[in-house]
Amino acid sequence: MILLAYILVALAVLVVIGLCTTHRQMNYSCISHAFLYTVLTVYVLLFRQVPVASFLIGSQYFFMDHFGLFEVLIASVIFTCAAVYAGGYVESLLKSGELEKGSLKVFYASWTMLLLVIVLAFFCDNLALFWICAELTTILSAMLVAILSARENIDAAIKYIFIASASMLFSFVGLIFLFETSRSVLGSGTLNWTELMQHAPAFPPGMLVAAFALVFIGFAAKSGIFPFHTWLPDAHAKAPSAVSALLSAVLLNVGIYGILRVYAIVHRTPAAVTIAPVLALFGFFTVAIAAFSMLPQKNLKKLIAFSSVENMGIILIGIAVSTPLAIFWVLFHIMAHSLTKASLFFSAGILHRQYRSRLSTEAVDEIRDVFRFQPLAAWGIIIGGLAITGIPLFPIFFSKLFILRELGMVSLPALFILLSLLFVAAAALGYFVITAFSEITAPGTPPDIEPYVTPLTMKIPLIFLIGLIIFLGIVFTQGEISFLNRIVQELMF
Amino acid sequence: MIDPAFIQGIIKVLLVCVIITAAYIISTRNLLSLVSMYSLQSITLVCLALALYTLESAPVLLGIAVVTFLSKALIIPYFIATIQEKIRIKRDIEFHFLSPTSSLVLSMALMLVVYMALTRILSETQVRENLFFFGAVIGISLMLMGMMVMLSRKRAITKVLGFLSMENGVLLFGMFVTELPFIIEFLIIIDLIILVLLTTILTVGIDSTLEDYHNRLHRFHLLQGPEERP
Repeated sequence: MILLAYILVALAVLVVIGLCTTHRQMNYSCISHAFLYTVLTVYVLLFRQVPVASFLIGSQYFFMDHFGLFEVLIASVIFTCAAVYAGGYVESLLKSGELEKGSLKVFYASWTMLLLVIVLAFFCDNLALFWICAELTTILSAMLVAILSARENIDAAIKYIFIASASMLFSFVGLIFLFETSRSVLGSGTLNWTELMQHAPAFPPGMLVAAFALVFIGFAAKSGIFPFHTWLPDAHAKAPSAVSALLSAVLLNVGIYGILRVYAIVHRTPAAVTIAPVLALFGFFTVAIAAFSMLPQKNLKKLIAFSSVENMGIILIGIAVSTPLAIFWVLFHIMAHSLTKASLFFSAGILHRQYRSRLSTEAVDEIRDVFRFQPLAAWGIIIGGLAITGIPLFPIFFSKLFILRELGMVSLPALFILLSLLFVAAAALGYFVITAFSEITAPGTPPDIEPYVTPLTMKIPLIFLIGLIIFLGIVFTQGEISFLNRIVQELMF
Repeated sequence: MIDPAFIQGIIKVLLVCVIITAAYIISTRNLLSLVSMYSLQSITLVCLALALYTLESAPVLLGIAVVTFLSKALIIPYFIATIQEKIRIKRDIEFHFLSPTSSLVLSMALMLVVYMALTRILSETQVRENLFFFGAVIGISLMLMGMMVMLSRKRAITKVLGFLSMENGVLLFGMFVTELPFIIEFLIIIDLIILVLLTTILTVGIDSTLEDYHNRLHRFHLLQGPEERP
């Protein structure tokens, strides 16, 4: 019944959006949608027996376990913040004429459906169904990228769709392999994750390696792993900032979620010995490419996008290490990265409204006098930047530290390579912030830029997220630890 | 009852037809014939599904045949052809990295690689008949050939066709290797239709300027705000 509640809320919101006439109404319905999901998820976590067994759930298609709920919780919190933020942001897009009033309904309808599909994806027990939901997230999010219908947005969206969907087809072939593997062992084939986990030790490793390799291609493309990351900086940089936050903080998680689920199956067989080093290698390449692409970067949103690629690489390395402790911190890193990255994109969005001329999204940022015009966004970037590089007392510090520690137990040279790459990435971020934020016009000259009055709706989610990050870095509750431990147990690492 | 050996012969002929259509899609420059070739390829797949049905009599195959025929032989080609007429592009002459000849040679090499790889991988499952293995190889090859079309063509609308023929390859592979539950197959088709609709609509935008694109969208009644309604 709980799952039906999720679906019904989304449908109701869709109907309301259809009836709405003003932007404000549509925005409010989106906010309440995401907020209701947050409340629902917290309710399930606190008051229901997880994994939930009821009508529809516990069937062979859907289930709710701790991992799914964890991801849904992150997604709904980010969506709530982004929806509040979109209120002010989309308003200013409308004012500047970048978004047409006619596209508003399409925008908010895709937004609502995207949230629904993401939540369904995280509750899928059947891997093929998960594949379909993941595919739908690509389509819907590409629509959100293309909504500005400037040529470069459409280009970025098409690139995104082509790369992600073509790679996802490989994934599907991988799933067919998995199905056939289970059929050769069990008699009747299944793609049900719970069943696959049960019988995994009996599967022939050779088939599993092939299946995982193919599945990995698709989900790697979804989560921006090298060499399938090329769509990511474009799409993230050109989407409206509220959407960029979703892309980076929620959609990349869908890919990582898929990889982690399938890897959990592989981990129970000898095939893991072959696959883990390859995963680690992909992780290292991803971090390296991202770090060196960040160095010459002059565009703030692209810089942040590449930082997402870097973090996905770190997560992949953590998965490859695959000790229980590593997986625990991988999960923590997923959460910390989502929150931090959303806050960074929110700040970048405010700066984008302030400094970017109307039709040149490709151009170099001309950030000047940032502390005079946009002090909040500037501090947002600085704090977010410190958090994402992993300065102590921010949550990412702990996850990076422990993932590195676990990596060091496996191989010391790998640890040093990763550490130096992380240093390059941090330096790139620091260099950009210092050069961009220290540009000051000489006192006395009249300012030639109109200050952009940031609406309150754009400030509140930013402040909230930064507060949440700081809170998460300082306070470790027992509940949080046991919750993450349950996920590690369920994934059987 | 029809002789199974005869059916198997027909299946082999049909598989060769699939390869021929794929080769044509790789090498042709005429966009209109590209679409009709794609719908021919889909019809070949429908025939294959029907032929397999007479061999295995799994009802899933019948379902696949019907859905494939409706979506891929009728709706999608019709939609793409309409869009093509609207944007008035007849030919796609530019090739990115590969000329048609070299891509044909490359696809032959690919088929060989796929054959060798699948021999190793599939040897661990129950050894199926030769025919099914052959079908699986053709399926994966078709998919890779579709990917080559996506890589080597410049126009987005040709890339869409490349993607579609990739997807045909996956369908072929799935049909020969295993039987997925019908609901999954059905949902995949729905998903694809949405994907193709969206990409083609966006494609219209790529070859035109911003204002022009908006006018076109309005003409298609795809983008209708409350204030534009008469």
